[in-house]
Amino acid sequence: MAEKQLLKGNYAIAEAAVKAGCECYFGYPITPQTEIGEYLSGRMHELGRGYVCAESELAAINMVIGATSTGAKAMTSSSSCAVALMQEGLSYACADELPVVLVNVMRAGPGLGYIYPAQGDYFQAVYGGGNGDYKLTVLAPSTVQECIDLTYRAFYLAQKYRNPTMVLADGLLGQMMEPASFGEYPYPEIDNSSWALTGAKGREGRAIYSCARDEDAQNNHIRHLFQKYDLIAKEETDWEEMNTEDADIIIVAFGSMGRNIKATMRELRAKGLKVGILRPITLSPFPSNRLNELADKCKQFIVVEMNMGQMIKDVKLAVNGKAKVDLINRPVGQWLSVEEIADGVQKILNKEVAYASI
Amino acid sequence: MEKNYIIAGFGGQGVLFAGKVLANAFMLAGKNVTWYPCYGAEMRGGTVNCEIVVSDEEVSSVHKQDVDCVIALNQLSFDRFISKVKKGGTIICNSSLVEEARPRTDINYVFAPMTDKAISMGNHKLANMVSLGVVSNIETTLNVAIMEKAVDMVLPESRKKLAKSNMDALMLGIDKQTTVC
Repeated sequence: MAEKQLLKGNYAIAEAAVKAGCECYFGYPITPQTEIGEYLSGRMHELGRGYVCAESELAAINMVIGATSTGAKAMTSSSSCAVALMQEGLSYACADELPVVLVNVMRAGPGLGYIYPAQGDYFQAVYGGGNGDYKLTVLAPSTVQECIDLTYRAFYLAQKYRNPTMVLADGLLGQMMEPASFGEYPYPEIDNSSWALTGAKGREGRAIYSCARDEDAQNNHIRHLFQKYDLIAKEETDWEEMNTEDADIIIVAFGSMGRNIKATMRELRAKGLKVGILRPITLSPFPSNRLNELADKCKQFIVVEMNMGQMIKDVKLAVNGKAKVDLINRPVGQWLSVEEIADGVQKILNKEVAYASI
Repeated sequence: MEKNYIIAGFGGQGVLFAGKVLANAFMLAGKNVTWYPCYGAEMRGGTVNCEIVVSDEEVSSVHKQDVDCVIALNQLSFDRFISKVKKGGTIICNSSLVEEARPRTDINYVFAPMTDKAISMGNHKLANMVSLGVVSNIETTLNVAIMEKAVDMVLPESRKKLAKSNMDALMLGIDKQTTVC
């Protein structure tokens, strides 16, 4: 185990990308993730790798599309309102099956919003703003260590499944420092020689494009993509679960809110309430099957998120009416405290409120 | 057991630097720790602060509503954060720039003339390190050796020569005669 050092989330993501073998970075600065581009502007140059400060986010995502189509490991990073500008590119990258890696360090929306941390891009990440049937793979870190681990995993999954993969962090994670260690990139390299556009010398020419020639071809392509998404769901769905065996109440949260619900669980357990937690690590694919299984025994789920209630819809779909699902939320600003969440849980249990928007 | 600190002052007083030293020190003392800065427009208003949370378990909330210990390097920070100190908590004040007043009766006060002490060493910018000396007096998990290592970890290679003056300033804060409680 490499020695731990105090690392800022944004720098952790940036150096993890370097260690994962990222050959090209394209991005445009935006708070609260500017340090990623800042760090890589020096580091990529030092290593003789590619770095372009793009003229816009639209350009950046298309540069990543170009680079990944040649088989290079490439990424971009941005935040909320600027990730919105990339949605067209993400739809194309999914259709083209390109291993794009994208980091979204979320800030408050809608519109330009503000630079405070928030979790309002769950829908944007999981359901997307691009056209057509597609899914990103979405990973949500909750600590600086996970910023590193999930950046590694993002590069691996993107390559392995040829699907754009997003690390969905938030301003809190991007700006905070915490002890963490890099270790080595733990995944095998994926051979992309069967599809990458490397020049046709000595072989048949290839093309990557998303325009289907006819109805059948388009149908087949979408079905192929969704077979792949099913495989990703089967193989890669990941979550963290604590004290769910005997739980009467399971609190669900993603990203850095996953930290607060653990402390809330400890506090409520000390008061005699049987509380467990489930924190999805992959938001897409979502741990629906596990939540559905847990709903056989546990009759009360409480979703805690810093938005007006987005992930709760996936929890409800997963639970499928077998248990009650309530929400504790705040759209933006001060992260819900352990005391506020504990208080919200009590109020929901006492049926004082339908949901505790704080 | 979880405890949080806010260090606040003018831009240029070394608030973020002092916070990083403190966070590294807690890490070296074997604790879980997070450091979180204000990074928004408030920075551009001239005041800056950062929050450090120390815990035996994984840190729960990185950014809390109330604070166990505030270190106020100027009057603005004192005025802004005194209401956020938990009942029974502590505010450590740079009495060179903060009026020695005790508007609340349910918290503890520590006053030390940090900027004056730093000026006595010939560099007013070291007031931040004097404040860390005061903190390491109060916080039993910290000691001089840990603080010295933490300073070394935070100083970049090009600034290592400043380690000694930083530690000298810290020692002035540790000197109990500096503080008035």
